[in-house]
Amino acid sequence: MSLRSVNLPGVGTKYEFTTDRGDTVALFFTKTGTIQMYTLQRGCHTPSAAEMTPVEARRLGNILTGAIIEAENESVEIAFSALADLRISVHTYVIPKQVAGKTIEDLQIRTKTGVTIIAVSRREKNIINPPPSFVFEAGDGVLVIGETDQLKRFERDVMVR
Amino acid sequence: MEGIVLALFVCLILALVTKRYSLPPIPFYILGGILIGKSGLALVTSDEISHFFAQMGLIFLLFFMGLELRLDRIVQNPTVVVTSGIIELTIDMGVGFVAAYLLGFSLMDSFVIASAFYVTSTALAITSLIENRKLMMREAETIIWLMVFDDLVLIIILAVLAAANQNIIFLFLKIAAALAIMYYLAKYGKEFMVGILDRSDELPLLFTFGAVLTTASFAMYVGIPETLLVIALGIALGTTDPDAFEQHARPFRDVFLVVFFVFFGVTVDLTGQMDFFVVGIICLLAILSKMFSGFLIGLFVHGSALSGIEIGGSIIARGEFSIALASLYGSPPVAAIIAVMVVVTSIVGSFTAKYTGRLRRWMSSPGRRAAHRRVH
Repeated sequence: MSLRSVNLPGVGTKYEFTTDRGDTVALFFTKTGTIQMYTLQRGCHTPSAAEMTPVEARRLGNILTGAIIEAENESVEIAFSALADLRISVHTYVIPKQVAGKTIEDLQIRTKTGVTIIAVSRREKNIINPPPSFVFEAGDGVLVIGETDQLKRFERDVMVR
Repeated sequence: MEGIVLALFVCLILALVTKRYSLPPIPFYILGGILIGKSGLALVTSDEISHFFAQMGLIFLLFFMGLELRLDRIVQNPTVVVTSGIIELTIDMGVGFVAAYLLGFSLMDSFVIASAFYVTSTALAITSLIENRKLMMREAETIIWLMVFDDLVLIIILAVLAAANQNIIFLFLKIAAALAIMYYLAKYGKEFMVGILDRSDELPLLFTFGAVLTTASFAMYVGIPETLLVIALGIALGTTDPDAFEQHARPFRDVFLVVFFVFFGVTVDLTGQMDFFVVGIICLLAILSKMFSGFLIGLFVHGSALSGIEIGGSIIARGEFSIALASLYGSPPVAAIIAVMVVVTSIVGSFTAKYTGRLRRWMSSPGRRAAHRRVH
């Protein structure tokens, strides 16, 4: 696979790569803010194109990185090849009623599951790095980071009680 | 003042219609201007305020062009850019000049017509590449770089036209001095400017507007054409934080440029001795000559006639820069001819740009090939 990127004056940035089997995928981040994706099958002359908004493109990216996408829960797995193939996942959850009123300390999230809560989104406001004394409310969106196994444990032991 | 309000209202409606049906907006702004202006219902006349607004439109158009010209990028594939650029320049400029001169225009007028005839509309060509989803084609890159070449030639044309009635050496010295000042301001003021542009209050907008306006009025004060100096300012600021400047200059350009197009339409005189024969010939040649130069570029650069049709069909539309040349250096009859040429070519060009894609798909579709083989 070979990836190349070009800056096209007046248009935006183009990323193009050819798969080992000879298919080509090209992406254009245009100045109008939309993203166009072209795919060209090997041996074909006319590509087919799809135009996306940035939000749609991000969703597509999440699907391609292998994350499960549900209506409210979204997750991204990042692999750092420089750090001995460290794979780490970031996942969002919505706090259910059973957990509301408890603090991070009460739930012993880190000792029990190993994951870390890195941000809480409450009524359009974001709280980054909530302290252990942080009290959850039902409907809070939380952003959790950890390995896939730890996240599963978090889902099983903390979110469903 | 009521004139501008009425003009803006007409623009708003035209913008909604053209966006709804993906039509090129520039010809419709001009037609709207013609309709409400001198040659139409005579509801609006140009006054000092509208003149100032239109002037701003022109200045911001050229400033923007300068911002996007990042000279360090041009050297990526010089042979392709230069080959295609020179083919286009010689053919279109040549055809335009000879035609205008044979039709009885003076040398100076012929040069203005030829320049407007040559300069393809960057905005229309690139928008149609995006909207018709042609960005992935190999011809798209050739067309995009061709537009950059056009911009560079336009700067030379503007310089030549500016120097036509001045002491060239003195003008050259003044321009060189102004460029040196700008270069040092961009080099040593970079951190200061980036600091201002990063703010989220009204300062970045105010700074961008002020910088462009100051440069333009400075140019007028020392007697250099402001068009050249604002392009130079764009290029100089393009070395600092071009994306931020584009973001902050865009609102000014968008609004003022529309006013510029409409009031160009308002002031154009189509009622005078408009020779329909002359206008018809210029428009027809404007289309044919671009088809031909595009065809040759396709043959020389991509070695394919189909590519040539594609490129030819994509570069027919003339637009903002032709109008700019007409409003700066065109006598009333020349401006009228350029106005009609821009309206005709931009509408025809938007259709050819759509159509070449279909033509190409049809030519390369397996069904047709099979049918073709059966015939032989």
